[in-house]
Amino acid sequence: MKEFKYVITDEVGIHARPAGLLVKAVKATGSTVMICKGEKSAKATSLTKLMGLGVVKGDEVTVQVEGPDEEAAAATLEEFFKANF
Amino acid sequence: MMGLVEALGKAIPNFAATDWYGFLDMIANTAFAYLPVIVAISAARVFGGNIFLGAVVGLAMIHSALLNAWSVGSAEIEYWRLLFFNVRKVGYQGHVIPVVIAVWLMCQIEKWLHKHVPEMLDLFIVPLCTVLATTFLTFTIIGPIFAQLETWVLAGAKVLVRNPFGAGIMGALYPWTVVMGLHHMYNVIEAGMLAEGALNTWMPIATAANIAQFGACLAVGLKARNNKTKVVAVPSSLSAALGITEPAIFGVNMRFLKPMIAGTIGGAVGALLGAIMKLGAKAYGVTGLPGYLIIDKPFPYTILLLVSAGIAFVITWVIWKEEEKPAAAAAAPAAAAPAAAETLEAKAAELPQYPDTSDVVANTVIGCSAGELGQVTKGNVIPYTQLPDPLFAQGTMGIGVGVEPEEGVVYAPCDGEITSVADSRHAIGIEGPEEMDILIHVGVDTVEMKGDGFKPFVEEGDKVTKGQKILEFDREKIKAAGHPDTVVFLLTNSDDYENVTFTGQE
Repeated sequence: MKEFKYVITDEVGIHARPAGLLVKAVKATGSTVMICKGEKSAKATSLTKLMGLGVVKGDEVTVQVEGPDEEAAAATLEEFFKANF
Repeated sequence: MMGLVEALGKAIPNFAATDWYGFLDMIANTAFAYLPVIVAISAARVFGGNIFLGAVVGLAMIHSALLNAWSVGSAEIEYWRLLFFNVRKVGYQGHVIPVVIAVWLMCQIEKWLHKHVPEMLDLFIVPLCTVLATTFLTFTIIGPIFAQLETWVLAGAKVLVRNPFGAGIMGALYPWTVVMGLHHMYNVIEAGMLAEGALNTWMPIATAANIAQFGACLAVGLKARNNKTKVVAVPSSLSAALGITEPAIFGVNMRFLKPMIAGTIGGAVGALLGAIMKLGAKAYGVTGLPGYLIIDKPFPYTILLLVSAGIAFVITWVIWKEEEKPAAAAAAPAAAAPAAAETLEAKAAELPQYPDTSDVVANTVIGCSAGELGQVTKGNVIPYTQLPDPLFAQGTMGIGVGVEPEEGVVYAPCDGEITSVADSRHAIGIEGPEEMDILIHVGVDTVEMKGDGFKPFVEEGDKVTKGQKILEFDREKIKAAGHPDTVVFLLTNSDDYENVTFTGQE
C-alpha cells in the first residue's frame, strides 16, 4: 500500500464538484483508494461518503492507495490533489 | 494492576522488597508513568496533527531532565531562565489537561506552518518549529498556570479535611480535580499526615469519591442498551472499584455528565460519613477495594463503600436515560456553535409537519441493474440535464433527476444506510443496495443557508427504509434566500451499473 498526506488549501475543501472530480480520477487509476481525516475514513469511490468526511480548508487528509500499480496511481492522485484541493 | 501491586507491597512488607515486586511494579506503572505520551498521541490524532510530533511534545513534557511531577514537594525545584520567564524544571507525569492543551496548540501551529512555509522547506522547517514553539509555550505559559492551580488545590484540600463537612466537600470536588489533572499532589497530604504520626484520613475521602464513580459507571453499564456504551462502562467501573477512576470518569461519566453528578453526590456523602466514623488508613497509595489492606477499621469502611457506591448507582439509575446518547455524542462537535444550533432547532420546529412515511416513492424515477429508486418528494420530475446548475446538469456528480417540490419533505428512495448528512443539513448521502451511492441535495447553492430551514431526521450510520421521512425543509426560506428549491436526486456512481434509466430520459 502507498500513502501520502495532503493539507487542503482549497477554500471549499472536498465538496460537491471537486469531490465528483476526485471520484472520477480515482476510478481512472483502477486502484482501491481510501481518504482518511482524523479517525474517519471513506472509500474514495463514494461521493457521498467523501462529502461526509467534512473536509475543509486546513484539514490534513491521508490518501491510501492499494492496487497493482499503486506507485503510479499514488503519484497521479498526488498531482490531482495539488491541482484541485 | 498498578493499584493491586502497590497494595500488596504495602500490606506485605516483605513482598515490597522482592524482585518480583520491582518487576511487576515497573510493568504496571509504565502506561501511567508515561501517560502524557499516550495522551499526546491520541490528542494529535483527534486534532488532526502529526502523531509523531504529538509524541515528541508528550515525551518532552516528561523528559528525565525534568523533576518528576510525583516528586514535587520532596525535592528542590530548579529553574531555567528563558527570556523573561522562570521555567520550572518539572515534568508532567500523570497530567492530562495540560498535555491536551499543548497538543491542540501544536496542531494549530503545525497547520499554520504547513500553509505558510514553501513546500521545498516544509519537511525540514515545520516539525522543528512546531515542536520548539509548542514546548516553549507549554513550559512558559501553560505549565505555570497549572502549577499554580495545583498549589491552590493542595492548600484548599489541606484546610478542608480538618472537619467532616470539609471532608464531604472534598469528596464532591475530588473527581473534578481528577478531570483537571490536579490530583497528583494528594500523596503529599497523605504522606504528611502519616509523617506526623496520625492516621491517613485523606484515603477514605478519596475512596468515597472513587467508589462513587464506580457506582455511577456501573449503573450506566447495566442500564445502557447500546452495546458500545456497555462494553466501555462495565470494565471501567471495575477498574474504578480498584481505585483507578480515569477510564470511568473520562470514558463514561463525564461524557454523559449526569453520572458524574451522581458520583459527586455519592462521593460527598461517603466522605462525610468516613470522617464522622473517624476512618483512617495506615499507609497510602491505594483506594477502593484494595484499600482494605491499609484501612484501620474494615467494617465501617465497608459501610462507606456501600453508601458511596449505592447512592451514586441509584441516582444515576434514576436520572440517566439512554436517549441522551445522541445529544451527548453530538455535544462534542456541536459544542463549537451550540447557540446557533439551538436557534436552528427552534426555527425548524416552526415547519409544517409531514407524515413519517409516504407512497410517493412508489414511482420509480431512477432504475439500473442494481435496483429501482423511488421519487423522493411530491412534484414535477425533470431529468438531470435540465437542472439549474451546470455542476449537476453536466453529470459530474452522476446522473439522476430533479424534483420541483410541492411539499417541503424528503423520503428515502430505497432501503439503505445514511452515509452523510452535510453540516449545512441540505444534502444527505445514502448507500442503497449493491453500493448504490445516492445523493439528495435540496435546492441549488443552498449550502449558503448554513442549515437554516433544513431539519434532517437521520444521522450518519442510520438505517432507513424506502418511503421513510428523512428530511424536512422550508420552501419559503429557500425562496427568500434567492435559490431554486429543486430537489436534486442523483445516483453518483451511475457508471458502475448497467441499464441506467431515469425519468425524462431522451
